[in-house]
Amino acid sequence: MSEKKLTIALAGNANVGKSVIFNYLTGLHQHIGNWPGKTVEKAEGTLHFKGYTIDIIDLPGIYSLSTFSIEELISREYIAVERPDLVINIVDASILERNVYFTLQLMELETPMVMALNQMDMAKKKGIKIDHKKLQNLLGIPVIPTVATKGTGIYQLLEKSVEVIEKGGINPPKRKYGKEIEERIRKIAKLVEKIQFRYPARWVAIKLLEGDEQVEKEIRKINPEILPTAKRLAKEIGEIHGHSCSTVITSERYEIAGCITREVQEILPPIRPPIRERLHTLTTHKILGYPIMAISILAIFYSIFTFGEYSSRFLSDFFYGWQPIFESVLGVKIVGRLVWGAMEGIIAGVTIALPYILPFYLILYFLEDSGYLSRIAFLMDNVMHKIGLHGKAFIPLMLGYGCNVPACLGCRILETERERLLAGFVVTLVPCAARTAIILGLVGAFLGVQWALALYIVNFLIILVLGRLAFKALPGEPTALIMEMHDYRAPHPKTVLMQTWFRLKEFIKVAFPLIIVGSLVIKLIEVIGLLEPIGNILSPITVNWLGLPAITGITLIFGVLRKELTLVMLATLLSPMGGIQVLTPIQMIVFTLVTMLYIPCVATIATLVKEFGLKKALFITVFEVFFAILVGGITLRLLMLANLF
Amino acid sequence: MKRSGNRMELPLTALRNGESGIITSVKAGRGRGRGWGFKKRLMDMGLTPGTKITVVKSAPFHGPIEVSVRGSRLALGRGMAERIFVEKEG
Repeated sequence: MSEKKLTIALAGNANVGKSVIFNYLTGLHQHIGNWPGKTVEKAEGTLHFKGYTIDIIDLPGIYSLSTFSIEELISREYIAVERPDLVINIVDASILERNVYFTLQLMELETPMVMALNQMDMAKKKGIKIDHKKLQNLLGIPVIPTVATKGTGIYQLLEKSVEVIEKGGINPPKRKYGKEIEERIRKIAKLVEKIQFRYPARWVAIKLLEGDEQVEKEIRKINPEILPTAKRLAKEIGEIHGHSCSTVITSERYEIAGCITREVQEILPPIRPPIRERLHTLTTHKILGYPIMAISILAIFYSIFTFGEYSSRFLSDFFYGWQPIFESVLGVKIVGRLVWGAMEGIIAGVTIALPYILPFYLILYFLEDSGYLSRIAFLMDNVMHKIGLHGKAFIPLMLGYGCNVPACLGCRILETERERLLAGFVVTLVPCAARTAIILGLVGAFLGVQWALALYIVNFLIILVLGRLAFKALPGEPTALIMEMHDYRAPHPKTVLMQTWFRLKEFIKVAFPLIIVGSLVIKLIEVIGLLEPIGNILSPITVNWLGLPAITGITLIFGVLRKELTLVMLATLLSPMGGIQVLTPIQMIVFTLVTMLYIPCVATIATLVKEFGLKKALFITVFEVFFAILVGGITLRLLMLANLF
Repeated sequence: MKRSGNRMELPLTALRNGESGIITSVKAGRGRGRGWGFKKRLMDMGLTPGTKITVVKSAPFHGPIEVSVRGSRLALGRGMAERIFVEKEG
């Protein structure tokens, strides 16, 4: 390590203003990626301060350092193993007790740290007065009051952080538990000290007493003899207190946090409930909450899709306007067509990324920062339980009706990897705007709206059934909602903009290559004249099983690129035979159903790869193709039996 | 921490809107994983035995419950809330 380079990690609960501080510190010098092999976002940035180049790592917002979620695991591994020079613990001054509980856990990891006592303005509004000097004395770590949204205290925070590091990064003092617990911690710690382990011995001892599965697993590999001793000691503590040892330790930690909080804070609650409280009551009202939600969602939908459709068409026209120039330069021979194929991939990417994903991210962060997202989840929780998900999953599902890409990205708001995958899978079955165009343009136009509606209902039932099945099939704990509803607040515009911008950049980096390669492959198939043979190869499926004309195989392949293309192509290919009307009503329904269910577009697949990895993305894709064919064939036979047409 | 006697242990869902109780225990759930993670999560959010908890309101159709605990506002799924036992405050 060079002399002038430092690493500082930001840690704290969710919604404490961590990203505001992160963006304030790093500005445009940041990089958003994923933690290796995980669907958890990793935000990194750099800044220069007093001759140092400081790397800032924004750890995920968490409430504890146990193993409830991957975020918690990642955070504690990072702090204990990568050993940043310092951890800045960002704390919401208006909910001090729970935040200090987390601070105590960070201190147990024996890492040098400084506390940023943030949202002092919010606390003041709530009538909470905090003596930060006293807090500093009681905790034994430096405490700097800040108001991140105004930039207050950030300089002092950095100054103090560097000062602590320069002094050699002193570890925070150890907090003592009750005598009977301390004795046992010491006993286990002694055993742990003898083995080579990457975590501090005392911390390991506490975690073993708490019954932390991850730590147990790792210790088992090194020296399994420690475990029975720890189990026995934990049981003894449990017997003394009449609660499980894990409960006892958590309670004691909260006890300490509570004592400290009572010492340093004074509460003078405001007499009149402030506007944000009344807004909360209104938006979670058992009757009024729902129409408010419906109107907000419809408004969001309407604005995203009006904007999306308009700008998408504009961009599309703009790019396709270059096609003749392109062709005149490169010719319409193989090379020219392949290059244009790659261009089409870029166009497909741009016409999704800018018109749909950009506003989506903006609105998502706006809703999340303001706090309304959690109120929607509160209202929709029990509906989502029907498919094994909880309230928060409603957001991505709803977005799926617009475009599956942002919907898949939105699955990140769920806590566990299992929930994310489950939601990601369900979301890809939701008919997006492009598929809606086909449903309405084919079935709706030729057979009537009632049939289009029937298809939507069938789709909804399929989502319900597959969601439930996937929920049963995926291992892991059942989902339950435990969610904080933080106070309503005005989102910090600069942070929302920066979050949007860096995530859009990240999306482009990951998804574009896949989209371009995908469209190149399809173009290549077309150019070397394989389209028709493939259409023929597919005919056992398209003709024999699904009862469709052979040429539909070609349109379905192109549909991978962009779903709405299938209808356009179908019309073009069928025009010599007399147009779409040559299809029988049953063929129309089967074709629409298959189009609706088989893999979303290449952009969605790219997103799935980005979010869940190649293997899972491939599995979902292959499954949905087979499933769509299966459902299509069955529907054909049922409709023929029913003799409706 | 357990005070037995003429006072009754109730599940949190038995409290009406606006009523408060003192948490006596959180039962781990049934089935896979037995909900260890969720019990721990509730503890980490501050729902430890002996803590005062207030039911603010419940969402309709057996939806989640809004509670106020240690100065923060939480939404708890119905299934979760049924496993939290409290002693009602007079």
